[in-house]
Amino acid sequence: MPQSSWDKCLARLEQDLSPQQFNTWIRPLQARFSDRDIILLAPNQFVLDWVKDKYFNNIEALINNYSGSNISVLLDIGSEELVQIPRASSAPNGFVAPSARQATRARRNSSLNPNFTFDTYVEGKSNQLGRAASLQVAENPGHSYNPLMIYGGVGLGKTHLMHAAGNMILHHQPHASVVYLHSERFVAEMVKALQHGTINEFKRYYRSVDALLVDDIQFFAGKEQSQEEFFHTFNSLMESHHQIIMTCDRYPKEVDGLEERLKSRFGWGLPVTIEPPGLETRVAILKSKASNSGVELSNEVAFFIAKHIRSNIRELEGALRRVMANAQFTNQPITLGFAKEALRDLLVIQDRQLTMDNIQKIVAEYYKIRVADLLSKRRSRSITRPRQIAMSLCKELTSHSLPEIGTAFGGRDHTTVLHACRKVKELKEAELSIDEDFSNLIRILST
Amino acid sequence: MSVQLPLGVQLRDSATFASFHSAHNRQLLTALKETRETCVYFWGKAGTGKSHLLQALCHEKAGEGWRVAYLPLAEPDLMPAMLDDMDQFDLICVDDLHYVAGKKDWEIALFHCYNRIQTRAGRLVISANQAPPSLPIGLPDLASRLGWGLVFQFHELADEDKQAALQLRAQARGLDLSDEVAAYLLRHAPRDMSSLFSLLERLDKASLAAQRKLTIPFVRQFI
Repeated sequence: MPQSSWDKCLARLEQDLSPQQFNTWIRPLQARFSDRDIILLAPNQFVLDWVKDKYFNNIEALINNYSGSNISVLLDIGSEELVQIPRASSAPNGFVAPSARQATRARRNSSLNPNFTFDTYVEGKSNQLGRAASLQVAENPGHSYNPLMIYGGVGLGKTHLMHAAGNMILHHQPHASVVYLHSERFVAEMVKALQHGTINEFKRYYRSVDALLVDDIQFFAGKEQSQEEFFHTFNSLMESHHQIIMTCDRYPKEVDGLEERLKSRFGWGLPVTIEPPGLETRVAILKSKASNSGVELSNEVAFFIAKHIRSNIRELEGALRRVMANAQFTNQPITLGFAKEALRDLLVIQDRQLTMDNIQKIVAEYYKIRVADLLSKRRSRSITRPRQIAMSLCKELTSHSLPEIGTAFGGRDHTTVLHACRKVKELKEAELSIDEDFSNLIRILST
Repeated sequence: MSVQLPLGVQLRDSATFASFHSAHNRQLLTALKETRETCVYFWGKAGTGKSHLLQALCHEKAGEGWRVAYLPLAEPDLMPAMLDDMDQFDLICVDDLHYVAGKKDWEIALFHCYNRIQTRAGRLVISANQAPPSLPIGLPDLASRLGWGLVFQFHELADEDKQAALQLRAQARGLDLSDEVAAYLLRHAPRDMSSLFSLLERLDKASLAAQRKLTIPFVRQFI
């Protein structure tokens, strides 16, 4: 009885409210029934407050009207565990059932992504050390490098490496408790545990795992209580020689809002850095990802995509996915022309950013000098280095000729440009800071 | 002349795929229905039907038993707390992402939501007015994720397609809109789909109240 009243109420609201109101506030509600009442479950406090304020009276009146009796309607926060619906069979034209879902739920304890393994991780110069260290940790957890800290910019494969290590530990020790989580999850679970009075269980759980993998620890910044708890968890795991692997987008010393004692502890183990991949590695990544999806990608197409998407692997994958999906939907082979067309809007945006003017502007901002300095005759090192780097970037990132580049830099000769490019190449090999500056600038310009 | 008011039943255009004229957006439509990717992102001009498409997707998937949620970020009263525990849903449709681009608390909340949805093998569908690299997103972690899944440009309908879309919508309302009248509307009224559909709604009510068919002399008064 209450269920049919709720169904009728829903049908009526769908008719009365705009699709936006209905989909935003009414559809997310789940109903739990008993003989005499209906409890409407909202996903969070915000939705609950909104529904209570704007729709509750109407809902209550409709339900009582349809049921013909006084059914009490209550609002609460929570969710009913749904029975799995066999989506693929019931909905042949619908989304393909998230087949990984049940497996994911079964693996909830570890939350490891089974697809992120060492086999699917493409090695290159930029990530060699990170891969080797993670492999060692996975083969000898708790004893080789502890903690293992993986640094690098966004979308370079830190999380993949971390999962690969976790998966390998589980492969060798199927009963080990290997827990992967994002630092935000740690914070959120701790807040919940405090609210529900289960903080002791929370502490016990995290201090007893065999390997703890925490992603993006920079998000601990400013969350003092969580840092304090993580500090104790960290100590406890280290004392019992249980493995800790963490990732961060920069060195912990550079993370504002992280306590000093945590910063120093994070520096105990082995820090490994992952750099943006070079062209050949990007090509290898594309070919490997395509092949994993059963698609043969020609060198020509792989080089084309890799040359244009330089910022990070995530965006490289995004571009590849788009090309493969378009090919699948239109049933066409992936030729160079097809890839260019599929990525047209993406490349237009990138090309727009990669003008010589823009390169000069970004380089000047990066080194905190003026664009006019780059174009001037000044020859002090604080100006010539950025100028040489900017020229070298123009050569690498645009298709302008050397004379054109020279002209754009205050009317210089093309041999000056050639000299600048050679000089930057030498400096990149000799000085780590120049190499880093160059990679950073490429990343900024390609994002 | 007194005008008889129509019955107090509001006729809403139900946002369904049946009332969506796909024209040049077939690939996007196929992707929305068939992809296994965590995230589908599509972008295009305002007033071209992106919200309608997201709502249609919600309607369809809810009908198949999915738990779905729709977040219209253009709504100024929404707060990032709206995303708390939203990862329990099978599908989350985020509309007009550009309204919160550059707002740090929203970006962090969306980033965490993305990660959780990915871990739980859920689906996220996002609409915005620009392609991911052009959106002024401050958090690089979120920015790079937006281009990770499938990205589509949402194509605006050509005039002849707009006419077909208008007639499809009229048909769904049980309203007879001839080729001649539809073409007239496109020649004389603002041509973005939001304006055209709201004009259609006004015409529907007026024709019901006046008990008149939609003819050029009749519709002329409403433009």
